[in-house]
Amino acid sequence: MKKVLLIGAGLIVAAGVTGVLAQKKWTITTVVKITGINWFNRMEEGVKEYAKTSGNNAVQTGPAQADPAQQLQLITDLVAKKPDAIAVVPMDPATLEPIFKTAMARGIKIITHEADNQKNTLYDIEAFDNVAFGANLNKRLEKCMGGEGKWTVFVGSLGSKTHNQWADGGIGNAKKNAKMILVDAKQETADDADKAYEKAKEILTKHPDIKGFQGSASTDVAGIGRAIEEAGLNDKVCVFGTSLPSIAGKYIETGAVDGIGFWDPKDAGIVMNKVAQMVLEKKAITNGMNLGIKGYEKVSVTKGPGVGKIIRGSAFVDVDKSNYKNFPF
Amino acid sequence: MILIAAAILSSGQFLDPYNFQSMAVQVPEVGLLAIAIAITMISGNGGIDLSVVSIANLSAIVAGLIVRSSLGGAGQGTLYAMSFVVIALLVGTACGLINGFLVSRGNFPPILATLGTQFVFVGLSVALSGGPSVSLGETEVFGQIGNGSILGIPIPFVIFMLAVLGFSWVLTRSRFGFRLYLLGTNAKAANFTGINNNTIMLFTYTLSGVLASIAGIIIASRASSVKWDYGSSYLLIAILIAVMGGINPSGGWGKMLGVVLASFALQMLSSTLNFLGTSNFLKDFTWGLLLLLSIVLTGTRLGGFVKPKPARES
Repeated sequence: MKKVLLIGAGLIVAAGVTGVLAQKKWTITTVVKITGINWFNRMEEGVKEYAKTSGNNAVQTGPAQADPAQQLQLITDLVAKKPDAIAVVPMDPATLEPIFKTAMARGIKIITHEADNQKNTLYDIEAFDNVAFGANLNKRLEKCMGGEGKWTVFVGSLGSKTHNQWADGGIGNAKKNAKMILVDAKQETADDADKAYEKAKEILTKHPDIKGFQGSASTDVAGIGRAIEEAGLNDKVCVFGTSLPSIAGKYIETGAVDGIGFWDPKDAGIVMNKVAQMVLEKKAITNGMNLGIKGYEKVSVTKGPGVGKIIRGSAFVDVDKSNYKNFPF
Repeated sequence: MILIAAAILSSGQFLDPYNFQSMAVQVPEVGLLAIAIAITMISGNGGIDLSVVSIANLSAIVAGLIVRSSLGGAGQGTLYAMSFVVIALLVGTACGLINGFLVSRGNFPPILATLGTQFVFVGLSVALSGGPSVSLGETEVFGQIGNGSILGIPIPFVIFMLAVLGFSWVLTRSRFGFRLYLLGTNAKAANFTGINNNTIMLFTYTLSGVLASIAGIIIASRASSVKWDYGSSYLLIAILIAVMGGINPSGGWGKMLGVVLASFALQMLSSTLNFLGTSNFLKDFTWGLLLLLSIVLTGTRLGGFVKPKPARES
């Protein structure tokens, strides 16, 4: 009789606990690099959509100025406020290591995005493998160039890890084809469309027979596109790169830019929050798992540089003249 | 007032002791920069030091790079922390001396001189660090400066308080402080009483550089990394604190106590806005508004016209 009572009591407690768990609303705050630019406005759409469908209390915030100090202060205050989880797109991963450590010691779950060198995070989410993304861009460029000719690649800065990985991915792909001749690789454009424009003009003067450009910073193709348009080479030179339709759309329309690639920040926002929720529900994310978002149906999970793991999707979006209008950001 | 409103709006969450600790960690960085700006404002002649943030970053970057390459393997110990602090202070002193020479011997208007050196220091920082942040890794002793605490009081706050006490003593009790106020009130009269204005100026701007480098040390320790654009939004806030704290932008007037109170008030306001999850543009707007209001109030108190020049941001 006693046993039955015990089991019964156990069941009731268990039911109560699961009941509470099922009903508990998690507070998840997403912190982005900077508020008010297209990229992160689009991400906020994702966070809002997640909040609506999941019923959790998910909000997005971010500093008004692109300053790592402001992001750190914002997160420091957030840690004091103690939400259940914080999802961060770090401005500078190194700056945030100590506060992430403190946060996790306080029991806050930390999820990051675009920071595969972050040590103090539970999961870092990458939309795709950067080298594969760069190679994919280059394959499209190669096809457009008819598989032969001189080409070059720009980076925002040589210090930017992702830009270099994209460029190296592209260079790696082109090496397989001896007819693709790389010239003046990895010119720096300082993430500035005007700089990219000047560099592109220099390259056009130096190599009048150049057939292709690959850009890395979102502003690169816009600058290259302007130079190509002014030179009247819209149909002769192929331009591909990482960018957004809002930045490059004008040049895609005229044909100066032939295609761009990116990942949808909206999806990244949803995935960050979903992963945070799974961590809070104590579910592990395993290799090959389906996170239920396009591009994240079969994620790869690898060990990160620190305590956490890196989740990689294959969420790159290929866009050209035919479909750029479907992505209003 | 801010405190009570915040407590009510956040349903008590704001009064969690942890939050006060967290705010006490955040105050010193910008607070020290505000003191640095305050003393240059007191010196008069449109005095201001726009290069404080860049000095903070430059000294931390130089110290970080040197210490990391020479003592990289033994990056945990006291020696590492000590050498970092010493090198950073030396760089801060050197930068301050440059500003001081330009302003006193070169007779450049401070706002232009320090605007210029600001870009020089930023350029040096970028060139030395190559752009991305230089990570200092896990540094046990050094990390304590920014992240540790004594009896529950964060160490950065202790450093800030020591600086405040030190400077209020200097300003009110020492001969230098007396001469500084005199110089700020009326440079010509000060000169006729036999004060060497140039030396006082030089000393003031050097002190400002040293204070900035202390802020740089705290920043580097707290973030365990150094980067050229860290705190690029601090300049306006530091000026705001100085002016709000009752320092007269045209010189000769102001107390440390006011600066301290202003820095607390601003931090609480900032944390409150973060707590309530308001838009961060509202914060920028609030800062600007406060700065204007403080100038207006300072102006009326003195019953005169206050040169708007020193309060303008670069």
